[in-house]
Amino acid sequence: MRLASTEVATRTTRDHRTRYPAGRLGRGLLAAALALPLMLGAAACGKDGGTTTDPNAPVELSFFWWGGEARAKLTEDALALYTKKHPNVTFKKTWQANQGYFDKLATLTAGGAAPDIFQIDDNFLTEYAARNVTLDLKPYQDKGKLDLSKFPPSLAQYGVVDGKLAGVAFGENTQGLVYNKTLLQKHSLPDPTTGMSWADFISWAENVSKTTKVPGTMDPSADYKAFWLWLRQQGKDLYKGNQLGFTEQDVTAWFDLWKGARARGATPTPDVIHEGNATDISKQLVVTGKAATSWVWANQMPELKKSTKDELGVIAYPGDPTAQWARASMYFSVFRNSPHKDVAVDVVNFLANDLEAGKVLGTERGLPSNLDIRRTVADSVTDTSMKLSIQIETELGTKFGPSPQVPLKGHSKVRSELIKAAEEVQFGRQTPAASAAAFFAACKAAIGT
Amino acid sequence: MRTWPRTVVLLAILAVVLYPLVWMVGTSFKSQAEIVNNIGLVPREFTPGNFARGWTNFDVSFGRFFLNNAMVSLLTVVGNAVSCLLAAYAFARLRFRLRRLWFAVMIGTLLLPGHVLIVPQYILFRTFGWVGGNWPYLPLLVPQFLATEAFFVFLMVQFMRGIPRELDEAAKIDGASSFTVFFHVILPLSRPALVTTAIFSFIWTWNDFFRQLVYLSDLEDYTVPVALTLFIDSTSESAVGPMFAMSLLSLVPVFLFFVAFQRLLVEGINTSGLKG
Amino acid sequence: MALRTEPAPARSSEPVNRTPAAKRGSGRRHDRDEVAGYVFLSPWLLGLMGVTAIPMLLSLYLSFTNYDVLSPLSEVEFVGWANYRRMFTSDPSYLHSVRVTLSFALIAVPLKLATALGVALLLNRAFRGVGVFRGLFYLPSLLGGSVALAIVWVNVFNREGAFNSLLAVFGIEGAPWVNDPRFALETLMVLAIWQFGAPMVIFLAGLKQVPLELYEAASVDGAGAWRKFFHVTLPMLSPVIFFNLVLETINGFQGFTSAFVLSNGTGGPVDATLMYTLNLYLTGFTELEMGYASAMAWVFLVAIALITTLLFATGRFWVHYSDAEDR
Repeated sequence: MRLASTEVATRTTRDHRTRYPAGRLGRGLLAAALALPLMLGAAACGKDGGTTTDPNAPVELSFFWWGGEARAKLTEDALALYTKKHPNVTFKKTWQANQGYFDKLATLTAGGAAPDIFQIDDNFLTEYAARNVTLDLKPYQDKGKLDLSKFPPSLAQYGVVDGKLAGVAFGENTQGLVYNKTLLQKHSLPDPTTGMSWADFISWAENVSKTTKVPGTMDPSADYKAFWLWLRQQGKDLYKGNQLGFTEQDVTAWFDLWKGARARGATPTPDVIHEGNATDISKQLVVTGKAATSWVWANQMPELKKSTKDELGVIAYPGDPTAQWARASMYFSVFRNSPHKDVAVDVVNFLANDLEAGKVLGTERGLPSNLDIRRTVADSVTDTSMKLSIQIETELGTKFGPSPQVPLKGHSKVRSELIKAAEEVQFGRQTPAASAAAFFAACKAAIGT
Repeated sequence: MRTWPRTVVLLAILAVVLYPLVWMVGTSFKSQAEIVNNIGLVPREFTPGNFARGWTNFDVSFGRFFLNNAMVSLLTVVGNAVSCLLAAYAFARLRFRLRRLWFAVMIGTLLLPGHVLIVPQYILFRTFGWVGGNWPYLPLLVPQFLATEAFFVFLMVQFMRGIPRELDEAAKIDGASSFTVFFHVILPLSRPALVTTAIFSFIWTWNDFFRQLVYLSDLEDYTVPVALTLFIDSTSESAVGPMFAMSLLSLVPVFLFFVAFQRLLVEGINTSGLKG
Repeated sequence: MALRTEPAPARSSEPVNRTPAAKRGSGRRHDRDEVAGYVFLSPWLLGLMGVTAIPMLLSLYLSFTNYDVLSPLSEVEFVGWANYRRMFTSDPSYLHSVRVTLSFALIAVPLKLATALGVALLLNRAFRGVGVFRGLFYLPSLLGGSVALAIVWVNVFNREGAFNSLLAVFGIEGAPWVNDPRFALETLMVLAIWQFGAPMVIFLAGLKQVPLELYEAASVDGAGAWRKFFHVTLPMLSPVIFFNLVLETINGFQGFTSAFVLSNGTGGPVDATLMYTLNLYLTGFTELEMGYASAMAWVFLVAIALITTLLFATGRFWVHYSDAEDR
């Protein structure tokens, strides 16, 4: 009896295995999933787009950018101008805020659906260029289809990665130290001036703290653009070739400098500094009233102005202003696999060099790269803060040295590691030397050396 | 007499819980400069213009975003409710080969952090041809009709297991098939589970930012979570006031949906009649 | 898996068939369950195969590669176990994120559940305006991970915020909570607990499913409120408590949105709020190391699967199911 039931049991088991092919299904699925990447990969990169030969065939280009509503309006108007001149070209426009922009761009690229033209900045330009996502625009420049001759040379050069022109700079920018004029006037304190040494500036800030009870300056030790400038003023740089352009001792010195400043009361307390370390305009200490000075980009002045009732002034960062450079606040790049490469490049060229388009786009993204357009646009600006930022940039622009190279792959990580390392020192959790060592090691890992 | 201590406790907890929200309401009436500078509850300059500006700020009125969101949310609710209920019945009440395996797999799908799935799913959906086109909502909606939200399947399974099996048995003795048991015994008693699923489904979709961001490209197609971020670009504009105003406004439909549906949770289930 | 050792249909020539008709009927019903089972399961199976399984398996494959999102899939390089090794040997941020996540989950989850259950019990009666009360308690959860909420939270919990003003009333000087590495994680926990509305609603639904006649019977037997709670409410509610426990634990470990908005996407200050999934997101999307991020995701899955299995195993002892099945 027992034997019979065991027999039956095994028979049922065997029946089970053949009757229900779940095991086979599982194996088949695994095989499919492993083969799938190859299939999808092939599908995604299959089309190395041919260019349309008929210049009048209807073309729809996808155009992707980040910004606010104001920028959206301007961009759409500028693109409409292009369509007026070339009625067969229409645009599928997508825009959004900065938050999530690069995540989406990366995802679209992964799916082989990157937009024909997209906005990008120096945080990611090398990442995309090095992986051949951006079209090399140099051939177009050589053939005269893309005109960068009216650009300041270092600005045009700032889009070159590994000898290829990866993006066209839109909007020149440079570092700007924004300070609260109203507060200073109220206490009869002098404005800071361009060319002040770092030591003098910290003393000035200490004085402001003592007199006004508002900390004189935000602590920029976590800010990569302040550190970058400080390095350049000593003949070093953030990146040199494929390596870092600075040493661990440099970082220690930088952290020490600001540790001293904090000790003297020139800066706010670490928790407030942390608030200011965010890149949001509305969180900058000069507008939230928690410090008298913030370290920003000069073209952010007009937006900052909207967040406060006080009057703001802007100068260069401390130290030798010739070490500042013409930075491209953003670029437009063309997708390498775009089926309409030539048209796309033509659109970018139009936006950069056409006078009407230039007037429409204005200074919203930064100073127009084309110097002729810049002169025309600057004259017609009425907003005082904008006028001020244009003035300071033009002044400084005459003194700029050559631009640095475009940041390397891994730059995002370098930036975030700097914030972390600086905050460790700010909160007193690590000594400058220890934190510098950790930061330096992390940077080397990030850029892959 | 015994109710007022309860009410006092409730009100106290409520005050603490609602303070941040009250702050939001106050802030939505502040001007841009004040939001950044004044952190008190009450605005010094009453700026109701935030609401008007928020509504009309974009080429497309904010109302359009609400409509898009409502459509996506409602369809999601229907898809989830139906498909998850079917799957839950199978897991909770039916016996079939590999049930335990599939149940474990289902729980397993809950466990993988979503961020590593976004890119593969995007590639997959593009291969299916669902991405873009005139109606870009396919990648957001089709999965909802295929019970991909394991949360709800599990939820319903747990609720169903609270329904006494004697009711099933009673029906089966009368000759009912699994299908009949489902329609006449389980479904009516699953109301709390369905209501809960509806509420959560609606709200999650109403708040789901990243997936909606990835799959929607035209301004007119955007939903509320995506649209809310348009007010603040960290590098340029910062229209914080209108953003707060619209965030508050976007709470209203969800809140109403919740209050309406939770009423269905009011009656308890009295099963004595069914036991026969 | 329990194997039924019923006689295979072809072999019913066995004369000594002591199985009563009802049992043989159950054999037939058993077969029908197979069909019915898969019919009811079919949408889910379709969803699994078509939508979920392939991306999951793809991400598993990618975890053994150096995929960087921007390069085509066909160009990824296989790196074997390198990603997994790196996690545990040369990535201090990763280990730190594990610690942060563990601390968060172990404290925030129980507190959130306790609060949810407590308030649900308070709101279980039908009194005038109970619906509005429930809605109001649920409001915080509705805010999800909006940017607005982050701004609110920072302004309530920073040095000059409302919370410190409240403490000042009692003469306590508060720290700058949300901007202080020592306390930033705690503000995140408070945020999570504040959003207890979701499990509260589920508890409410579960409470509604407790058959009223059980309470009546208990009253007849002379039970007071506490005894009713321990002997009727808790046991009948245990499947729902179990559900909430499992789900909130999973959510606790997976917590992303609050940490993301509160720390402005950085996990700061100084990585104090660097939750596991936030670190994963930064690795995959900002640093474009999606292969490494996928490895992190699968390690996470295995770890949480173990914890969940543990919960299911212990659930056997305290969860009471009305359908009297072995689970």
